[in-house]
Amino acid sequence: MKPVAITGMGCVSALGIGVESTWEALRQGRTGIAPLVGFEESGLKVTTAAQVPGYVPEEHFAPSQLGLLDRHSQFALLAAREALTDAGLDPAQQASLAAVIGTGCGGKETDELTYQKLYKEEKHRVHPFTIPRGMPSAASSQISMDLGIRGPSFTISSACSSTNHAIAQAVLMIRAGLVDAAIAGGTDAPFTYGLLKSWEALRVLSPETCRPFSRDRKGLVLGEGAGMFLLESLDHANRRGAHIHCLIRGIGMSADAAHITDPSSEGAARAMQAALQDAGCQPEEIGYVNAHGTGTQLNDPSETQAIRSVFGSHADRLLVSSTKSMHGHALGAAGALELVATVRSLQERLVPPTANFTEPGEGCDLDYVPNEAVPLDYSFAMSNSFAFGGLNAVVVVQRAG
Amino acid sequence: MKKSIEQTLRESIARQKMISEDQITLDSSLEELGITSLDSISLVFDIEDKYGIEVPNEKLKQLRTVRDIVEGVDQLLAERQP
Repeated sequence: MKPVAITGMGCVSALGIGVESTWEALRQGRTGIAPLVGFEESGLKVTTAAQVPGYVPEEHFAPSQLGLLDRHSQFALLAAREALTDAGLDPAQQASLAAVIGTGCGGKETDELTYQKLYKEEKHRVHPFTIPRGMPSAASSQISMDLGIRGPSFTISSACSSTNHAIAQAVLMIRAGLVDAAIAGGTDAPFTYGLLKSWEALRVLSPETCRPFSRDRKGLVLGEGAGMFLLESLDHANRRGAHIHCLIRGIGMSADAAHITDPSSEGAARAMQAALQDAGCQPEEIGYVNAHGTGTQLNDPSETQAIRSVFGSHADRLLVSSTKSMHGHALGAAGALELVATVRSLQERLVPPTANFTEPGEGCDLDYVPNEAVPLDYSFAMSNSFAFGGLNAVVVVQRAG
Repeated sequence: MKKSIEQTLRESIARQKMISEDQITLDSSLEELGITSLDSISLVFDIEDKYGIEVPNEKLKQLRTVRDIVEGVDQLLAERQP
């Protein structure tokens, strides 16, 4: 399949605003997981989170715009603006872009504030912006309006695989010749009281930090943020002399058709195999896997098993890390933050570690790059996303040039 | 009361449209101020919230100027008085 070029990147995460602050923390193995802020009097059990530090919406948006921007749309816009600036696209070309934006939660902040007013404060009216601010497609619309994007634009939602499915959809549209270029990525802002209570109820949240693949791992730590990418056909990128960060070589998607929360290593393996096949890549060519690596009891051995079944004996030479140990689990934006990590890793020939690693957990017997970055000698990498409900999407990336 | 409604409204418009309050007079047309249909719904919402009234949909559609809103709200408040 024809490669698709990544020519622009932008992100917002617990590691800061902008790709470089996120990458700098990742390469140092520095975690953005910290005490949860903003819910001090709420009686929540969860105490840790990967929240965007020192984020002040008014520093980035005019009051007239902010009224219509749910927190997840704000992150999406910041990342999209950075990606477009980075890509150096002629503003006249922005109109023909597509925008495919993943989100797992959508405008939950807006919805919850509304419900709080109605059901708790017993108010009888809600703000007229509630619908346009909170609709699941709000971020796609805001990106289109803010950046003057007039091509096919919509939202994709597949929980924690939302970004990778969005990337896949944009790649397919570019390959099909529907558009020359697209902005694609994901965004989520899940720090609301109701969502935190709901995640608590699933009993998958860590009471401390996130330690993927470690024996003493206690669960995932929720994160927030967004990551956006300017994707172009290789011809289009070369024609305009764009700097190419990396190439997307393969996408692979599958569904477990099994359990709503328990992962299936078979379903995950099929998505990885499909991505390799799409890339025309042998397993031995992959040097780094940015794992889904949530740090839950179920995911980590299941993903390890899936990697072993796909890569065979090469699995012992693979470098596998979970950067969720640093940027947290940003749900619909997870794949986006992890694609930033994967692309920068290929560029810098350096694999970011799994932070907070202690000793390997049962059934976790790969090289998880514990706590310190290591050099990368390969030019292909893979980024995994396996969502609740068994919706899997995997991306294979190649270093450019 | 009218003065206070007018002031509330001018502050809201100035904030929402990012213009100076001096540019907003009773006779300013909402269209001239760049107030879209969604903006006017939002402005009226602020006033409804503050004064505890509800502007009916058919009244909302008739609003053309700042004065229309001020007088409409004042009338609703007067109707509410015993």
